[in-house]
Parts: sequence; C-alpha cells; structure tokens
Amino acid sequence: MWTYEKRLQYPVNITRTCPKTASLIISQFGGPDGELAASMRYLSQRYTMPCKEVGGLLTDIGTEELAHLEIICAIIYQLTKNMKIEDAKAAGFDAYYIDHTAALWPTAAAGIPFNACEFQSKGDAITDLHENLAAEQKARTTYDNLIRLIPYPEVRDPLKFLRAREVVHFQRFGEALEKIKTDLDSRNYYYFNPEFDKAMLKHPL
Amino acid sequence: MDDRITRLKRIQEISFTLNDLTLYLDTHPLDTDALDAFSQAQAQRRELMANYARDFEPLTIDCVCQKHFNWSDGPLPWDNQGGA
Repeated sequence: MWTYEKRLQYPVNITRTCPKTASLIISQFGGPDGELAASMRYLSQRYTMPCKEVGGLLTDIGTEELAHLEIICAIIYQLTKNMKIEDAKAAGFDAYYIDHTAALWPTAAAGIPFNACEFQSKGDAITDLHENLAAEQKARTTYDNLIRLIPYPEVRDPLKFLRAREVVHFQRFGEALEKIKTDLDSRNYYYFNPEFDKAMLKHPL
Repeated sequence: MDDRITRLKRIQEISFTLNDLTLYLDTHPLDTDALDAFSQAQAQRRELMANYARDFEPLTIDCVCQKHFNWSDGPLPWDNQGGA
C-alpha cells in the first residue's frame, strides 16, 4: 500500500521553455537507467528477498525512486508546458510532439520506449544486489552526463540532488550485500541460491 | 504566499532528513544516535504537516479537513511554485 504526498521530494522551479533539454532529461524517466526502471527493479525484487531488512530497504528505495520519477517528470513538464510548435520543430522535439503532444511518456533520449528488459529481477539475492549496485552507478553516470551538457542552473539544481541520491543508494545497497554475504557461508556465498534453495539455509537471514 | 512556500520548503527539508535516516536505519538499525535524530525529525514533521494543513491545504489524505473535501485545494506538486 502507498499513500500519496502532494509535494515533490525536492523543489523544481523552471522558468524557461526548452524542449531540447526536456528531450535529453526524459531518459531518466523511461530510459535504460531511468527512475521508472529503478523503481520497478527494486519493487519487483523485494518479494523473494530472503532477508526481511533488505526487503524493507528495497521497498524504501523503490518508493523514493517513484518520488524521483515525479521530479524528472516535473522538470520535463515545466520545460515544455509553454512550448510553441516552432520551439518543438527547432529543438527536434517534433517527432515526440506528434505522438504525445506535451504529455509525459516514458522513453529514452534516443527514442527507445520504456521496456521492462531494462532491469532484472533475477531471484538470487547476491545477483540482484549486484544488479542494483550497477544500476545506481549507471544512473549516476547519466546524471553526470546531463549535468555536463545542461547549462541552466534551475535545471541543474534538482539533477544534482538526484545524482547525490544515486550515491547514497549505492552505499546502502553495498551494506545490504555485505549483510547477506556475512549471514550466508562467508567462505562461499555462491554455494546455493538463498532465495530458492531455502532448505539449505542453516538459519533465517 | 511567501509564507506558504517557506513552510512547504521546511516540510521538504525535514521529510528529506527522515527519508535519508530511514535508509540509514534500514542498514544500521542499532545506531542510537540515528534513532534519536529520527525521533526528533519525526516529531517536527508531524507538527509542520498538521500546521500546514490547518493554514493552507492538506498534503496527505490523513490531513484532509472534515468541513469540506479539500484534497484538491492548493497547487499541483509539478507546477512551478516559485521557490518550493
């Protein structure tokens, strides 16, 4: 169950219209390392996560990713809400405009639509936590690239916040992975899959 | 209007403190300093949220006023609110 809070996690106040910038940032909505994929990754993995505390962490980070998705969508919305057809044409936003006008639709910057194949829910705690560590770094690199490319302080500001959160999530997933490894046979934590070979667990994680 | 934005910003700050402490406590549940900071922030947030709902509009369904259904009052979160 979720409850909605009618506010952004971090404020977004953009005064300019720039569909070009929006068309780049949209990757963090529906792209391969975007917030939608991040949220669905963690919220899908948590059901079979054998350690209750790590299942809780997946819920909390997956929930925060939904708030990040909302920040990204607010940035895109504010950058395009007053867009004229000439702006769309000049910015190369015209193809998107044909299918979605100024609405939000999850896609990568290069035009590939959102796809669940962009994330994994593998059903092995060690594998999934490594997937998550990699995902946080990939998202961090995407924010690095966006911040390098976008000159406007009012757009960069929320992107910097989101980038910093990727670093914190990476840290927390690293701690979760260490916990699971320590609780398993620390000499060979690949010996069995703690999510499937439950009979081999000597004690609950 | 300025007061509304300032107070919304305060709610965003204290809520973020709680978000970050929640993730930290997920992996460090026995850290008593973190737990104390969490309790303090939680009490502050509760008060700020209740006062904000009383003076402006509700931010959660739990804060919706009984006199009239005011859940849709106030700006949308994705609109530029000029400062928060």
